[in-house]
Order: sequence, then C-alpha cells, then structure tokens
Amino acid sequence: MTKIQTLHILNKSPEHPRFARCLSMASPDDAILLIENGVLGLASAAISTSGQLLALAPDMAARGLDDGSTSFETIDYDGMVDLTTRAQQVVSW
Amino acid sequence: MPHRNNEGFLEDAWAWNPSVAEAIAAEDAIDLSENHWEIIRFLRDFYKKHEVSPPSNRLFVKAVKEAFGEEKGNSIYLMQLFPGTPAKTACRIAGLPRPTNCL
Amino acid sequence: MSTLILIDQPPYGGWTGREALDMAFSLAAFDQPVSLLFCGAGVNWLRKGQEPGQVRQKSVEKNLSAATIFGVEALLADSDDCNRYGLEAAQLLSGVELVRADAQLFAGYSHTAFAG
Repeated sequence: MTKIQTLHILNKSPEHPRFARCLSMASPDDAILLIENGVLGLASAAISTSGQLLALAPDMAARGLDDGSTSFETIDYDGMVDLTTRAQQVVSW
Repeated sequence: MPHRNNEGFLEDAWAWNPSVAEAIAAEDAIDLSENHWEIIRFLRDFYKKHEVSPPSNRLFVKAVKEAFGEEKGNSIYLMQLFPGTPAKTACRIAGLPRPTNCL
Repeated sequence: MSTLILIDQPPYGGWTGREALDMAFSLAAFDQPVSLLFCGAGVNWLRKGQEPGQVRQKSVEKNLSAATIFGVEALLADSDDCNRYGLEAAQLLSGVELVRADAQLFAGYSHTAFAG
C-alpha cells in the first residue's frame, strides 16, 4: 500500500470557498477524498488538482451520480478507513 | 431565592449573593467553610472574566489547579468539598450556569 | 497525535465556531494537544473590545481567554486574513500568534479540522 502524505477529506459543495482552497493546497503526495456534498464536484466543472482524487461511492449513489469516470477512484466505507490509516496527516475540510 | 432551573442552577448568575450560596449548599447538606468559599470566589471570578462555567469536571479541576496548584486542583480535594460531580455542585452553589458537558 | 482546529466563520452570526471551541476544550480536558487557528472571517473572533450584550450572546473574546487555562496550546491567526479585516497587532487579543495558514502549517499536526 502506498503511503499518503495528507488525506484531504472534502465534504463541501463546489460553491463553498473551502472546495477550491482544498484543491489548491493538495500536493502530488496527497489524496483528496470527496464525501457528502463534496461528490457534487464531480458533476460540475472538471476538477483540477495535483493530488490523487477519490470519491465515496455511497454518497455518489445517494445523489444519483455515475461512477464510470476514470479521472477518479471510488471507494466504500471500508476503503475510507483504510485510506485514513495510510495517511500521515488528515485534514477535514 | 432567585429563579432557578429544574436542576437547581440560577437562571441569572448576577442574581447571586453569599446567602443564596448558603441556601443552595444547605440543600446538599454542605456547611460552607473557608475552603468552600475560596473555590466559590474563584468560580465567580472565573465567570466574570470568561463568561462561561468550566464545561466539564476535568476542566474545572484543571482551572483550579492553574489557580491554586496541585494541592487543591485535584478531584479528591474538590470532591470532598463538593460531593457528587464537583463541577456541577460547585457551580450550582456559586450561582454559575450548569457546566455544559457534565452528565 | 496533535489536532489543529480551524475557525473560518465569524462570531455571533452562527454557532459553528462555539462548537469548535467546545471541541478544543474537550480535547484539552483529556490532555490531547490542541491548537486553534482563526482564518478567513474567523479572525474577527480575535478583535479586542467585543460587547455582545445587546445581541444577547456571551462574549467569545472572554470565552477565548479561558482557552489557555484549559490547556489549549496556542491561539493562531492567519496574518493575511487579519490584514484583510483591518486587524492590527494592537487590536488583537493578547497571546495570539500570527501565522500563515498553509500546507506547511497543517503538516505540523496529525489532524486538522475545519469547524462546521
């Protein structure tokens, strides 16, 4: 399992100022996990970030979002737990 | 006696006076000594400065320790003075609002 | 395990900041290292001379002054955001340390959490 420097857990919709701030702060060793309203970012404009992009599948399914894209990885709750254990730091946005 | 809530805490901390403290303490069969008054004065002063009761028993002990040192800032000493949950009992007698995180 | 709690919401208009303060106090109660960082409109928590009696709220200025007594390690504020809201050093509550809220700062904490 690869180490992650910082795991950014982003639960804000794309309109929220923290959404853009999170994307700009992430570095290539980081992972950004979109949860709750954060997954709506996948339905709006293309997300540009240098970190690895992931999304929580149950939150996507709840909002009727398609997980067919290859630009991000989808994970379930167990995957989220695993992700937090691999990260050196966690930032909850 | 000023207005109190269903747990016996004053509705208005500024309606307190020393005889209110004695009356509330008597309900818990506590006879107020100088050691009690020292903590009561500390809590009154704390509330005036910070507009908040120590939110939990641990933080009450911590704040007393900060002010008076280990000898008084420990839960055994405070429990002997204010039986039950010391933060709740002491705040009730001192006329402060109920500590928010005490069960 | 150290935690940095960020408050980026201004005081008095909502409850999220107070909840964050409560979270910080609770961590401190259990001797978990915790610091508070004010950024964005959250820096307005730190302005001297708040008198919220007429809006029937307790003074966050006075509430915050209990933070170090309870064991909160540091009160930090983003310097750019302080400038943005016209907060000069003399107008800040005492004990506040000016910093830059960036990835480098966050890297010093195992968990960084925004309030609300």
